[in-house]
Amino acid sequence: MTFPRIKTAALLLSIATLQTAAFTMLPLNSAQAQEAANVTVTFTGIQSPTGAIMVGVYDTEAAFAGGQPVQGLRVEVAGPEASTVVAGLKPGRYAIKIYHDVNGDGRMNTNPFGMPTEPYAASNNAPARMGPPAWADAVFDVAAGENAQSITID
Amino acid sequence: MNRRSFLTAAAAAGFAAAAFNPDVLYAASAGIGDWTLGVADVEADIAPQALRLVHGRAPAGLAGKLYRNGPAKFHRPGGSVSHWFDGDGLMRRYAIDDGQVSLSARFVDTAKRRADTAADAVVTAGFGTAGSKRASIGGADDVNAANISVMMAGGELWALWEAGSPIVMDPDTLETRGPKTLRPDLKGMPFLAHPRVDPDGTVWNLGVAGRKAVVWRLGADGALQAADVIDLPRASYLHDFTATARHLVLVLQPWIHDRLVAPIVDGYSWRPEAGTQILVIDKADLSRRRVFETDAFFFFHMGDAWEETDGTIRFDICTSPDPKFAVKGARAMVEGRRPVLTASPDLRLISLHPDGRTRIERAGLAAEFPKADPRFAGLARTKTASLGYGPGDNPFHQSVAVRDWKRDRVDSFDFGPRHLLEEMVFVPRPGGSAEFDGWLVGTGINLDAKATELHVFDARRVAAGPVCSWRADVALPISLHGIFAGA
Repeated sequence: MTFPRIKTAALLLSIATLQTAAFTMLPLNSAQAQEAANVTVTFTGIQSPTGAIMVGVYDTEAAFAGGQPVQGLRVEVAGPEASTVVAGLKPGRYAIKIYHDVNGDGRMNTNPFGMPTEPYAASNNAPARMGPPAWADAVFDVAAGENAQSITID
Repeated sequence: MNRRSFLTAAAAAGFAAAAFNPDVLYAASAGIGDWTLGVADVEADIAPQALRLVHGRAPAGLAGKLYRNGPAKFHRPGGSVSHWFDGDGLMRRYAIDDGQVSLSARFVDTAKRRADTAADAVVTAGFGTAGSKRASIGGADDVNAANISVMMAGGELWALWEAGSPIVMDPDTLETRGPKTLRPDLKGMPFLAHPRVDPDGTVWNLGVAGRKAVVWRLGADGALQAADVIDLPRASYLHDFTATARHLVLVLQPWIHDRLVAPIVDGYSWRPEAGTQILVIDKADLSRRRVFETDAFFFFHMGDAWEETDGTIRFDICTSPDPKFAVKGARAMVEGRRPVLTASPDLRLISLHPDGRTRIERAGLAAEFPKADPRFAGLARTKTASLGYGPGDNPFHQSVAVRDWKRDRVDSFDFGPRHLLEEMVFVPRPGGSAEFDGWLVGTGINLDAKATELHVFDARRVAAGPVCSWRADVALPISLHGIFAGA
C-alpha cells in the first residue's frame, strides 16, 4: 500500500529533525504519543523453561553489530513460549537480537573456543550464516501503533 | 562477541565464511574407472540384509559388531560436495554371530544432511566444500557431517567428525539421537575422529581450534572426567594424535591454518621449511610438555605409541611428502578423476629419544590406515596392520599388510586391482592374549561382483589370504574408519 509508506517516510523525516540522544527518555506529549509504536514480540520453541530471554532492540546496523540497544528487556521464561511488548518506539526500522539466558547468570555463555552455548535468535528469524544474524536479514519496519514479531528459539 | 571474533572462532572450529560454490561436474565424462563405485551415492538407508558366505569358513569365536562410518552421499541436483570428506556420514553395522553376518546402514541424521536434503543441493559448508549463502549456520554442529569414524561410549554409538560434537546413535537400530554435549559449558566443542583408548578403557581425545586444543578424558563408561584447554605452538591441521601409557603425542605438521577463507581446506598453507614439530604432553600434568623437531611431512593417521624403559617414545605413522591428497586428490575423486599425488603415503616408525633426537625408520611400505592390537595401546608392541596400493588407476587400496618392526618383515596379501579395500581392524581371539592373536576384519568393494564384501584374516597369517569372505547384495561406497564391538 503506497499511502501508509509515504506517511511513514514523512513521519521519519519529521522525527529526524526533533531527534536527540535522550529522545526515548523524554515524557511523551500527546502528539508524540500518537506517533509512538509498540512491538509485541512472541518467542516460541523454547527448549528449557528456565531463566530469561534477554532482548536488545537496535535502530542502526552499527549498534546491531556490537553497540548499544535503544531498548533492552528481560523476559522471564516459564514454558515453551513467552512474549513481551517493546513500547514507546519511534516508528522506523529496527532489528532485534535475543539470547536465552537459560541458567540465569545474566550473560550469553560461550564454550572455551568462543562459540555460544545458549540459544540465540533475531527478528525475522534471521539466520546465522557462519556468524551472528545480519542486520539486512533482521531489520523490519515499525509503524505507528501496534506491531508484531515472532521469534523462534531453537 | 562481535562478528569478527565469532567468525574466527567458527573458522578455527573447522569451517569458514560461506561463499557460493559452483557445482561439481560428476561422472559425465566418458571412460572413468569403475573405482568410482567407491564414491557413488547411497540414496537411502539399508535395511538389514544377510550377507552370503562366498569363501572359506567363519572362524569359531568371531562374534560382535563391526561399525564403519564414511561419506556416502556426495551429489545433489542443485549442487554437490567438492571434496570426498564432505559427503554425508553413513553408519554401517555388520553383526557377526555364529558364522552369519547381517548388514544394515543408516545415514547419520545431521543438521547438515537435513538442510542439504531440504535444499536439494549441498548448501552446507564443509572441509573442502564452500557451501552456499543460503545455508543457516549458527555453530559447528550445523556443518557436522559425522562422517569420519565411530566409537562406543557406554551404551551409545557415537558418529565422529573432527570439528563438532559426537553424534549419538542407537547401536542396534542406528537411529540418530543428536549431538552429544558432555557438559553444558562445552556444548559444540570439537571432538576429533581418532580418540585413543587406554587398555583400561579410558578415552583420550582432542578438539582443535587454531592454536588451542581441548584435551578430553572420558571414562570407560563414556562419562566425562576432564576437559582442559591447552595452547599449541602452531595451528597445524591435526586429524589424529597418539598416546603412550604416560604421554599424549601430537604431531604438528607444517600445514598451517593461516587464512580465513572458504572452504576451510584453502585456509591452510604448506610450509615445509618450518619442519614438523612433535609435542609430547604428560597425561598427568598437561602443563608438562616437550617439543621435538624433525623434517617436514604430511600425515593423516598414526598408530598407538609406546615408551621403552629408557623413556624413548615410539609410534608408527603414514606420511606423505605434502598435503596434495587433502587439497586436490580428494576433490578430484568426487569428480570421478584419479588423484595425482607426489607419492603414496608410506609407513614409518618414529622414535623420540630422551636426549631430544628424533629418528625415522621407513618400513618401505606404501601404506595407509595403520592399526594395532588395541590391547597393547600405549604399551610396547611389534606389529602394525595397514592397507597398500596397487599400480593401476584405482586410488583406493587393494592389499593388506602386517609389518613386524622387530623381525623386520612384512606379511601381506594382495586382492588385485578389482577390489577396493577399507581399513582392517583387529579382533582378539577369545582366550588369547598374545599380540595379534586374532583376526583382521575389514570390508571392501568387489568391482566384478559390484558388491561390498566382508573379509576375515588370521592376523598372524595374512599372506594365506582371507579365512573367509561374505558378500552383500549392495555396494556401499568406501568408508573411512571402523571399530569392532565384541559380542
